[in-house]
Amino acid sequence: MNHYKLSISEINKLFKDKKLKPSELYSEVFERAANTESIIHGHLTLFQDENIKKAADADKRYENGTELGILDGIPIAIKDNINIAGYATTCSSQMLSNYISPYDATVITKLKDEGVMFTGKTNLDEFAMGSSTENSAFGPTKNPWDPSRVPGGSSGGSAAVVSAGSAIASLGSDTGGSIRQPASFCGVVGFKPTYGTVSRFGLVAFASSLDQIGPITNNVEDSKILFNSMKGFDPFDATSGKESKTKQPKLKNAKIGIIKELMEDGISEDAKLEVQKVAKLLESQGHEIVEVSLPLTKMSISIYYLIAPAECSANLSRFDGVRYGNRVAGNTSYEMMENTRAEGFGPEVKKRILLGTYALSAGYYDAFYGQALKARAMMKKEFTETYKEVDYLISPTTPSDPFKFGEKSDNQLEMYMSDLCTIPANLVGMPAISIPTGLSSNGLPLSVQIMSPANTDNTLLEFSQKLESVVSFTSLPEIKGGVS
Amino acid sequence: MTDKIDIKNVAKLAALKLTTEEENKLEKDLSMIIDHFAALSEMNLPDEKISIHPLGTPLDLADDEAIIFLSHEEALSNAPESSDGQFVVPPSLD
Repeated sequence: MNHYKLSISEINKLFKDKKLKPSELYSEVFERAANTESIIHGHLTLFQDENIKKAADADKRYENGTELGILDGIPIAIKDNINIAGYATTCSSQMLSNYISPYDATVITKLKDEGVMFTGKTNLDEFAMGSSTENSAFGPTKNPWDPSRVPGGSSGGSAAVVSAGSAIASLGSDTGGSIRQPASFCGVVGFKPTYGTVSRFGLVAFASSLDQIGPITNNVEDSKILFNSMKGFDPFDATSGKESKTKQPKLKNAKIGIIKELMEDGISEDAKLEVQKVAKLLESQGHEIVEVSLPLTKMSISIYYLIAPAECSANLSRFDGVRYGNRVAGNTSYEMMENTRAEGFGPEVKKRILLGTYALSAGYYDAFYGQALKARAMMKKEFTETYKEVDYLISPTTPSDPFKFGEKSDNQLEMYMSDLCTIPANLVGMPAISIPTGLSSNGLPLSVQIMSPANTDNTLLEFSQKLESVVSFTSLPEIKGGVS
Repeated sequence: MTDKIDIKNVAKLAALKLTTEEENKLEKDLSMIIDHFAALSEMNLPDEKISIHPLGTPLDLADDEAIIFLSHEEALSNAPESSDGQFVVPPSLD
């Protein structure tokens, strides 16, 4: 029997009942990786050898009844922009190809304390900038459902390995949809928590007011387990929040708003039909469905592509060839920096650094960056007002099913539009989850996205669990050319 | 249509050395993106209270006390060049 598609709680029960050992699951997951990685290329590095002892230790803990918790012995993959002490953190960039982290990210410390085994580090678009993993300096990840198509991005590797079964779950980071969009493309669950609930310390910063670490899993319950093991205030992250009392949305007889602007032009018929199908299911469960209008969501791509590159241009200024990363020689410090950055960064990263630098430069700041900040504040108001009327919001996660390699790489605006539905949650800071609900006319996964007010994460997850049980999406990819 | 982007100047501000081919491509790409921002730039938006935290939560800053998080050796462990416990860089002036 294969165990790599079981839920974390099912696996934990097998461990406790002594019907499965962590070392056996470890062997199974790495065997799965051996059979799929040559096609998928989801992991950049696999930590196979170093886990032998850790798995044996977990075996002993379960034998003695001293297991550390529900995550003890669970193999989880980590996006390669999250630091694990003693291992490379490349961000899929030549700039950091030799970087070895001297410290653990806070989420890694927390997961280590719970006995998690890390399968390895997963591929991403360079510095998490992209929607397809085509921007990785180490080659793209392929979609397990169809290797001629992208897995989404930027956490494409993290989504693909969960879909393929070479990890039970994974961590990603989400700046404009980088957890939810690849989760949707790979037919798995992706959860972006409320901004600040999970520490960003040890996550290589892209856009600090938008970045958030979250789980990618086979089901909603696993996302809930991982979220609750990672959340909490962290003194090393000044933007992390303490738990606050927030009015929670209803779980029964809830009012759910379909966002009108995310069901219009640019959204495929398949994606719209999926939302309508799910809305009918929710209605049959006693919930009320209404249409809501949030006009500024139409502007979200413009707002995002001003704020995120502006923050990126500041954050990535630290890669200067002085303290870490690769260095290319120059006669002066400035020349060395210019040469280092020219060689170390790929085309998309350069473009976003330049875009951000331009938007922040004298004479343009007010018209671009300042205007984007005002629009973001207005957008937040729109959502706050809307949540006075509805408990949850629903939309497609992605405007279409997974696209083919190269299909959008020559059309930057079309590529950016693939984050249209996911960006608002980052701009507003609210939690959002992508749940696979069906297959498109191409036989590829489609998902819906559910959002709720900030700091209602566990209620959103509980609500999503109920929806998931009604939708009952059980399709799995057949990995062509590999062992399925 | 926005003003022509002075790509050489922007690249200098960003400390990015570009080839002529990159300059031509990026100038075109950036112009296209910035044109897309026109609708946003032209919106008449009221002055809103701006916060760097998307939820407007005040930052919880640490006490102003030194802590040893990384040892000296760990902090230097990824340096492209170091000597006598310090980062080594080329001269600042020719």
